[in-house]
Amino acid sequence: MPQVTVQLPSILGRIIDESRAIPIEADSLGGALRALVDRHPALGVHLFDETGNLRQHVLCFHNQTNTRWLHSIEAPLAKGDTITILQAVSGG
Amino acid sequence: MGVLVIVGTDKGAFLLRSDAARADWKIQGPLFKGWKVTTVARDDSGRYFVATASDVYGQALHVSVDLDNWRQIENGPAWAKDTERKLNQIWTLNLQTRRFYAGVDEAGLFASEDGGESWSPVEGLNEHPTRDSWYPGAGGLCAHAVLTDTKNPKRIWCGISAVGVFRSDDGGLTWEIKNQGIPMLIEDKKHKEIGRCVHGLVADPNDAETIYRQEHTGMFRTRDGGETWQRIETGLDSSFGFPIAMDRTSKTLFIIPLESDEYRIPADGRFRVYRSANGGDAWDPLSNGLPQENAYMGVLRDALAVDHLDPCGVYVGTTAGTVHVSNDAGDSWTQVSCILPRILSVSVYVQE
Repeated sequence: MPQVTVQLPSILGRIIDESRAIPIEADSLGGALRALVDRHPALGVHLFDETGNLRQHVLCFHNQTNTRWLHSIEAPLAKGDTITILQAVSGG
Repeated sequence: MGVLVIVGTDKGAFLLRSDAARADWKIQGPLFKGWKVTTVARDDSGRYFVATASDVYGQALHVSVDLDNWRQIENGPAWAKDTERKLNQIWTLNLQTRRFYAGVDEAGLFASEDGGESWSPVEGLNEHPTRDSWYPGAGGLCAHAVLTDTKNPKRIWCGISAVGVFRSDDGGLTWEIKNQGIPMLIEDKKHKEIGRCVHGLVADPNDAETIYRQEHTGMFRTRDGGETWQRIETGLDSSFGFPIAMDRTSKTLFIIPLESDEYRIPADGRFRVYRSANGGDAWDPLSNGLPQENAYMGVLRDALAVDHLDPCGVYVGTTAGTVHVSNDAGDSWTQVSCILPRILSVSVYVQE
């Protein structure tokens, strides 16, 4: 499986007491997020809501693409890809 | 001996420490920077539990023995998928009996039988026959107050806004509504016994049958475990408020009334705490050292605490981020030298 990097916002990185850049091996975007939560179960409640979907104001980018615009979260990954978790913030 | 005050705010928790004099305070924090710290409690073994919440990242419960190293509890309170309910925040933790309780928004009660490591819904309350008629107050549909009878742990009281007070006599299996004597606020066509908006509850530490109730519609007391409630408002200019606390040593009560449900600010910009030394029969305003001009902050329901020392310390956190402390049971007050984010919760612990 290709190795990718999951980038977390600092507010979540502190919870798992680990670097904000986490290497993960996974075939797909969904697989990477599942592997991330398998390794750090504390993140599950912060990324996903009761329906099992990403929380409404959690953004997830696959490289430069907002995954909300993808047809499926099971998009394939390539070695060196970056998955970035951000909080959706608009305006001030 | 020292005193530790944990102030939970919109953006983290702050630790305020003093010696027994409770005159000079050292401030440390924020812990859980960026998170709402909605409530804090300590169990009998000395472990601290902190509930956090975020509009983006949801809620969680954390535990620590030393306030430095924290662990998020993986099996904290959570609604099952099929309930279609969202768990927005933990409002209150009651760790006084072997079984721990957590009151949450969206309203419901969870219990832990293993010292807080895993939590299960209290179905008898959460699926109460009136459940479909529960409606939120301005602060949400929240179970924010849990009282337990340490002499009879099968007796539990739970306050839910804007529904009312429920009591279980069988360890949480079944629950009865205890609102007799409390005026209706939101009338439901089917269930006339709910629609009350309880804001705060505190029980007499030696008599669980005597409970004081800060209600949307006034101050009330029961002497029969909630079967009947009577108004106790002598001396109050306004009976609308949120927090209520009782010093278990002297049994002195403290509340912080605001000017009406319409305005929700201190009347005339005078910030006052009210005290009753006779079980709520009469109330006196306390203002010595509290801001008496242009003070328009509020105090949320979990942001008033007492330390039970003699004389008791009283601790108030405001929506303006100020912390006000009395080390003489409310006779005089000082403001701690800090301006914090909006304060959600205040709890105090005496450390030997």
